[in-house]
Amino acid sequence: MAQIFHPTTNLLSRLSLLVFGVIGPASTLLIGSAITRFPFGTKVGVPLAQPVPFSHEHHNVELGIDCRYCHGGVEKSPYSPLPATEVCMSCHSQIWTDSPLLQPVRDSYTTNKPILWNNVNNVPDFAYFPHNIHINRGVSCNYCHGPVQKEMLVYKGQPFFMSWCLNCHRNPEKYIQPRENVWKLYTDIQRYGYTVDASGKPESDPTRTGLTPREKALAEGEEYVNSAEEQKVAEELIPQYKVKKKQLTDCWVCHR
Amino acid sequence: MDNKTNPTLDMEAVRAKLAGKRGKQYWRSLGDLLDTRETQEFLADEIPQTTRMAGLHVDRRRFLSLAGASLALAGLSGCRFKEQKKLVPYVHKPEELIEGIPLFYATAIPSIGGYGLGALVTSREGRPIKLEGNPDHPISQGKLDALGQAALLPLYDPDRAQIVSNQGEISSWHDFFGQARGIIAAQKATQGAGLRILSETITSPTLADLKANLLKQFPQAKWVQYEPAGRDNVRTAAITAFGSPVHTVYNFKGAARVLSLDADFLMSMPGSVRFSSDFIAGRKVREGAKPETVNRLYVVESVPSVTGAIADHKLTLRPSQLEAFALAIAAGVGVTIPNAPTLDAATKKFADAVAADLKSAAKGTSLVVPGDFVSPNIHILAHAINQQLGNVGTSVVYTESVEADPVTQFADLATLTQEMQAGKVEALIVLGGNPAYTAPANLGFKEQLRKPAFRVHLGLYEDETSELCQWHLPEAHFLEAWGDIRAYDGTASIIQPIISPLYDGKSAIELLSGLIEVPRDGYTIVSDYWSRQGFTGPNDFNKMLHDGVVANTAAKPKSVTLNPAALTALPPPAAVTLDNSSIEVTLRPDPNIWDGRHSNNGWLQELPKPFVKLTWDNGAYISPDTAAKFHLKIDKDYADSAEIIELTFKDNSVNPPVERKEKVPVIIQPGVPEDTVNLFLGYGRTRAGSLGNDIGYNAYNLFTSNAPWQFTAALARTDSKYPLAVTTHHQTMEGRDIIRVGSIAQFQRKPSLAPEENPTKSAPENGAPPVETKEAGLEEEQPNIYNADEWKWPAEGDATYGAYKWGMVVDLNSCVGCNACMVACQAENNIPIVGKEQVLVGRHMNWIRIDTYYETTAESVDDYVKNPSTYFQPLMCVQCEQAPCEPVCPVAATIHSSEGLNQMIYNRCIGTKYCSNNCPYKVRRFNFLNYANHWDIAVVKMRNNPEVTVRGRGVMEKCSYCVQRINSVRQKAKQQEREIEDGEVTTACQQTCPTGAITFGNLNDKNSEVAKLKEQPHNYGLLADLNTRPRTTYLGRVRNPNPDLEEHHVG
Repeated sequence: MAQIFHPTTNLLSRLSLLVFGVIGPASTLLIGSAITRFPFGTKVGVPLAQPVPFSHEHHNVELGIDCRYCHGGVEKSPYSPLPATEVCMSCHSQIWTDSPLLQPVRDSYTTNKPILWNNVNNVPDFAYFPHNIHINRGVSCNYCHGPVQKEMLVYKGQPFFMSWCLNCHRNPEKYIQPRENVWKLYTDIQRYGYTVDASGKPESDPTRTGLTPREKALAEGEEYVNSAEEQKVAEELIPQYKVKKKQLTDCWVCHR
Repeated sequence: MDNKTNPTLDMEAVRAKLAGKRGKQYWRSLGDLLDTRETQEFLADEIPQTTRMAGLHVDRRRFLSLAGASLALAGLSGCRFKEQKKLVPYVHKPEELIEGIPLFYATAIPSIGGYGLGALVTSREGRPIKLEGNPDHPISQGKLDALGQAALLPLYDPDRAQIVSNQGEISSWHDFFGQARGIIAAQKATQGAGLRILSETITSPTLADLKANLLKQFPQAKWVQYEPAGRDNVRTAAITAFGSPVHTVYNFKGAARVLSLDADFLMSMPGSVRFSSDFIAGRKVREGAKPETVNRLYVVESVPSVTGAIADHKLTLRPSQLEAFALAIAAGVGVTIPNAPTLDAATKKFADAVAADLKSAAKGTSLVVPGDFVSPNIHILAHAINQQLGNVGTSVVYTESVEADPVTQFADLATLTQEMQAGKVEALIVLGGNPAYTAPANLGFKEQLRKPAFRVHLGLYEDETSELCQWHLPEAHFLEAWGDIRAYDGTASIIQPIISPLYDGKSAIELLSGLIEVPRDGYTIVSDYWSRQGFTGPNDFNKMLHDGVVANTAAKPKSVTLNPAALTALPPPAAVTLDNSSIEVTLRPDPNIWDGRHSNNGWLQELPKPFVKLTWDNGAYISPDTAAKFHLKIDKDYADSAEIIELTFKDNSVNPPVERKEKVPVIIQPGVPEDTVNLFLGYGRTRAGSLGNDIGYNAYNLFTSNAPWQFTAALARTDSKYPLAVTTHHQTMEGRDIIRVGSIAQFQRKPSLAPEENPTKSAPENGAPPVETKEAGLEEEQPNIYNADEWKWPAEGDATYGAYKWGMVVDLNSCVGCNACMVACQAENNIPIVGKEQVLVGRHMNWIRIDTYYETTAESVDDYVKNPSTYFQPLMCVQCEQAPCEPVCPVAATIHSSEGLNQMIYNRCIGTKYCSNNCPYKVRRFNFLNYANHWDIAVVKMRNNPEVTVRGRGVMEKCSYCVQRINSVRQKAKQQEREIEDGEVTTACQQTCPTGAITFGNLNDKNSEVAKLKEQPHNYGLLADLNTRPRTTYLGRVRNPNPDLEEHHVG
């Protein structure tokens, strides 16, 4: 009886072992992790449609409205509160009163029903992230939220992996800065635009002609690690701000 | 009956067991003491009965197929597209509110006897999530009892009445007022002769004002107040003794000698929170304490109470013997009494010693407190004794009545029933309460309730009374409505709403206002009343709201003289003779669900009752001797099958006499007097709600207005059994040096109170583990149970510890076992309830438990089984520095923090339960099922504390030292660039403890309160010989016995 399988099928069977045994699982793992790590999974940089197309760039950079006008309480509360409809209406009862884009705001105000915004930045329920304590340690909004001041529609700036949180919690001196700098960033952008002053003058120096490299990086939403000079300042801030490095990596700091 | 087929308590066996032992022995229950083989097997499991899964029978094949399927599908559980979350801001943000920051409002909780307990409400984004005591309130002083802590839960109870209903049909307030105003107006013609209002005890000044208004408009109408567990005896006695219903306020501050006549003043009296705080302040024992600086408590009781457990000397008497005892004390201190009582030798000796000791105390520093439910005669005697001892004005203060128009409630309710029967009542409005369920059985109130043509019930729940009324009106919870209330000392508080009514409920004052005047809202009614009282300043009302108390409203002291005729008219105590089948019965409100009003409160239902640790049921407590007499069985597992007995009470108050019967499950409980059975009200309800329906027996079937609190009944055994969910034997620690107790003299001699040196370790065949003889401390040379190379804990003083080293001290001398900490913890930490079935298999979730230990020596077993010394020990995770749970976790879900907290990380936990197996303290709790979200109901979730993760199924949990509170204080301190101060962080249990038994703080700060307590000589670590180095330690209990009665107790 003739052989059913030609000898070349031996090679095929060996290859198929390779495909199903190694390449298959490996690529499944790769694709799986890619899905969770690429914007498709993390939604980083993907703007989300909102009931009202609110532009941070317009309100913050162009009009110069302070972050805290709408997100008041962010320095005191663990949450960064969203503005109540009446806050929007404090201006929009006077300007753009006919704009169809603002119809949901006016509806909310007249019907006393809140505007339902789509949540962009979300940490799981078992992780407790207090805004106030970070803002007061000089961790500016942009460290976590990306270039939020120039976002036309808000998108996620970071995927919020735990390892990324721990970068700073393990080495706070590489990231923290004087707390005044948090709000100075936006006034500096309003003043200098996105030009950089590479002279090495710190944020507190009023004779600067542009953003510091740290400000520039944050303004663009890039990862920034303090320079040697800045680290020295940060190390002095750590005892002043009562940051206890050992305690920062305790589980119960964020999970409880 | 045959003893052999019914194994009863064998006292000989107990004696034989104890004969070989020296010193004190501690036990948790009779079975423990007997140490039977069944008990040992039962206790060998950490959680007995875990394997007895209700109704789950799985064979091997089915198990494998299920296991395979779950393995295959487990990975998919993470694969889902999440729904887009929405963020919902305010439209108009309320004043002062910042999302994420709690706001606190002062209000008052209607509590025991209709008196108020001042509270601060924590409100998160408009939701009240926690009640704490108001520090400015004279009774609560910043603390709450268990009932007060649990008062929050009914607000979010989905079983609450949500609609106005008319004959069961959905109706509306509009329709109700349309009909009711017409009917009330029609009563004008007869001056309200057919109008009756039935409410509970009124202490609210505003409601009293509306009541006066109503009675002015309708002079013939009648207003009846009825509260089953009310204070009729107290009022009756005051009227007899002083001619008017004066109010007695006890002041335990400075009371050096206290005698309680069946008064559970530490837990279940209207002023208990203040009483326990003042009383315990007089017996905090610190280094160098002398007997003169510590107060002494004598308790004579018929029902085991936590007050009895704290007593230095306790005597159990049958209820009928109490009056004779009071007479003996009266005679002993020099009160002239008409009839000298005859007492047996032991009782006489006790009474003589107590009387002598009371007399020897400095004038005005002793105190005799009668219980609310003992006979008026005993109250009169107590008034006389206190007067004789010169206590009036110091430890006893008489004031004008705090209640509005105090009346004899049973009599009024009886009159109302007769009037209903006679057809004189045309309109009956029931404001709160549940009289159809709670009325005495002999009155026939329930049967007559259908007689009035127009019947209205206002209540939180559609209950037994609503069933018989045409109209049911949803009442607003006290956190939803305006009102006011007076505290035990008379101080008024404004009740302010924290949330708008969830279900369109109205308060009693709003309802009344709607019926008899131009309708006003609650705010207007209350603020108008107080402005008429002279508080007319623009900020006066706001100040009352802010402070939570109305200044200078405490009841004015009143000078009264005891009517000598009240004493001379005292009849000789009625002797009760019992035959072989009869027994004395006491009835009391249940310690947790009271008269039944808290039936649907899951926190209170699952809260183990003091001593017996019974949940979800009421039991009939009977002493071991009496159980033996009636051939009742002590079961091997306590929980599974309580024997049911039938009690028959011959009620002669009705014509013809009837026999009232009730079948009750027996719990054999040391400390109950002989030939007595203790029953508790509040159970056996039919329309309480989904949690409270059809559990326990209904003791109201035996409750009559003639002999409500004590009577004689016939006892008969039945063949049936009933499962009771008792937690006594869950999580035991198997003997060892757990409790340290000594008399103050012993404390002076050997302040550590450590067990005595015993050169020969007791042999294992004695049943007890070897007694650790070494002075237990935090000793370095002790062996580590783990290989130091594989697992390293930070050493004492190790640099790995951060700036804060959190620690706790629990003072066993201050703990009165009132359970307030357990409920506070439950509210703070989102601890779910699990239900009776799950408690039966040992799965209750409370992070704190209060262990009860009884003490015995070999010499006089009988005495201790009858009248044991009882000790409480609150136990939560002790945060070991060398925690045995940590090295066994395969996923590092429980590890140490830099501040010495033993962290439990829920999102890492995979549910192996190894940690719980390895925990010597048995303080870890496992979510066997999805308890927290079992009811997927929005209103239930509203109660959760957003600062604490709600745990899902398959996750271990335990006490965290309230880390969320530490963190929030830490953030506050950091923002102000300072360190955390001592006393700034309080755990929920510490915050609410009325006696300040729990102290928490930073051990690195040598000046902190907790660090100083750790230096006390009687500070000891529980199971410290395992070298776990617990961060929570205990201060030993120090008793102050009377030398004349020393042999009554182990000193």
